[in-house]
Amino acid sequence: MLCEKCKKNEAVVFYKETVNGKTKSMALCEKCAREAEDAGEIKGMSGGFFEDTFAGVNSIFGSLFGLPQYHQKAIGETEKCTLCGATFDDLVREGKAGCPECYKTFSDELSGTIAKIHGTTSHTGNAPARFRAGREKKRQIASLEAELKEAVASEEYEKAAELRDRLKELKSDAEKDGE
Amino acid sequence: MLWFEMNGKDSDVVVSSRVRLARNLADYPFGDRLNEPSAKEIIEKVKGVFDGKDDYKFTDFASLDKISRSAEAARHKVSPEFAASDSPRALIESDSKNTYIMVLEEDHIRIQSVKPGFALEEALDAAFEADGMIDSALRVAYDEKLGYLTHCPTNLGTGMRASVMMFLPALTYAGGMRSLQNGLGKIGLTIRGMDGEGSNADGCLYQISNQVTLGTSEDEIVSKLSKIVENIEEQERTLRKKLKEDARFEDRVMRAYGTMLYATLIDTNELTKLYADVRLGVSLGLIENVTTRQLDEMLVCGMSGVLMSEAENVRTPAQRDRARADMIRKKLAK
Repeated sequence: MLCEKCKKNEAVVFYKETVNGKTKSMALCEKCAREAEDAGEIKGMSGGFFEDTFAGVNSIFGSLFGLPQYHQKAIGETEKCTLCGATFDDLVREGKAGCPECYKTFSDELSGTIAKIHGTTSHTGNAPARFRAGREKKRQIASLEAELKEAVASEEYEKAAELRDRLKELKSDAEKDGE
Repeated sequence: MLWFEMNGKDSDVVVSSRVRLARNLADYPFGDRLNEPSAKEIIEKVKGVFDGKDDYKFTDFASLDKISRSAEAARHKVSPEFAASDSPRALIESDSKNTYIMVLEEDHIRIQSVKPGFALEEALDAAFEADGMIDSALRVAYDEKLGYLTHCPTNLGTGMRASVMMFLPALTYAGGMRSLQNGLGKIGLTIRGMDGEGSNADGCLYQISNQVTLGTSEDEIVSKLSKIVENIEEQERTLRKKLKEDARFEDRVMRAYGTMLYATLIDTNELTKLYADVRLGVSLGLIENVTTRQLDEMLVCGMSGVLMSEAENVRTPAQRDRARADMIRKKLAK
């Protein structure tokens, strides 16, 4: 079977994922699979968290098909979490994060997996008190920006100027909080 | 009081409602990466939050014997996994608020509130109260984008699992569980049999809970789950009315009731089956003078761990079967 992408080399990677009942499958050569991973198209393959979703991919990328080098790359460089010392390889093997800091250290590697589990990567629920003020300011900024846009569109320049000043103030406040 | 000692709303179909919030301390690793001194530090920190608060009682859970631990799991105060482990862990409980805080379960802190009947909002309020106390005293791991950070990424965001334990005999007998399971899966909810001894299907008890925890607020989770529960309640009640017209069904209910009243040896599997038949008979008005609350209490107290923790001389299975039958008769005589 030829690779679906380049249609030149023999396909050695058979990727399959099912999200909400829709199955996406790809047969790729090693080179194209590597490119697809870099492009994020088949990012989930390095996230062994949910083996039912990725089992096929992991076994294919593993030693079974003699692609140890690829496997090495798929599970990331040997970057270590500053708090717990876990590598991304550890996370994949354990199926869980090593500590809260891991989510920051490996945020790029994890975002695909998290999006697959929850369908999103943005929290909208409750927050600890120390984050609530900042969230409220962000919400106000977004709503003022929308109002400003509307004021400009309807040529209410006096109102727009006033809104712009309030926005500027809020934004500088928010920056100070962030420091 | 415990959830099964209280009356709840819609208890003909809903046995209990539970909200669980997963929380972690920002500066400590999770699970196996946490060494014993750090584990003890976390226990002390969380204990400190509730010290001097009369409503909340602290228990060094690891120091309890295995029987007491499994009894607490049967009472749904802690998870079976939490009860099974010997590593450092603690339970902080408030019976008046039906809130149980597991320290060092899968996450550093798991707050859960279990209410009788259909009461998800009340359970959420109670869990939030304890959450607020922890938040004001400790640095809880949180990320502006991902929300509350948890050991397993399936709990990120709200860290919340809301679940309702439903009693669905008519739907079970009508063969409707498979399609219900498929339908719930499509809208991000899961359904599981009740934890514990005995076959899940026999007791006709199912736990329905949210799957997704990120990108949806706590209130949204509760309101979505509540709507579905109301819908299932309606289906179950409609099917029950049809069952009542069947004479063979009435016979089955009354035979089960008779066994509860007169049998002298009952194992957990049999109790679970009797529970389902009699509970259904009670909700259809076929059996009077017995309440669903009594039956729920009987099911919890009939679990081996609870029987052994509440009485001496119930070491062997035969002794337990006798003690279980005695307990059932006593509860019915009340």
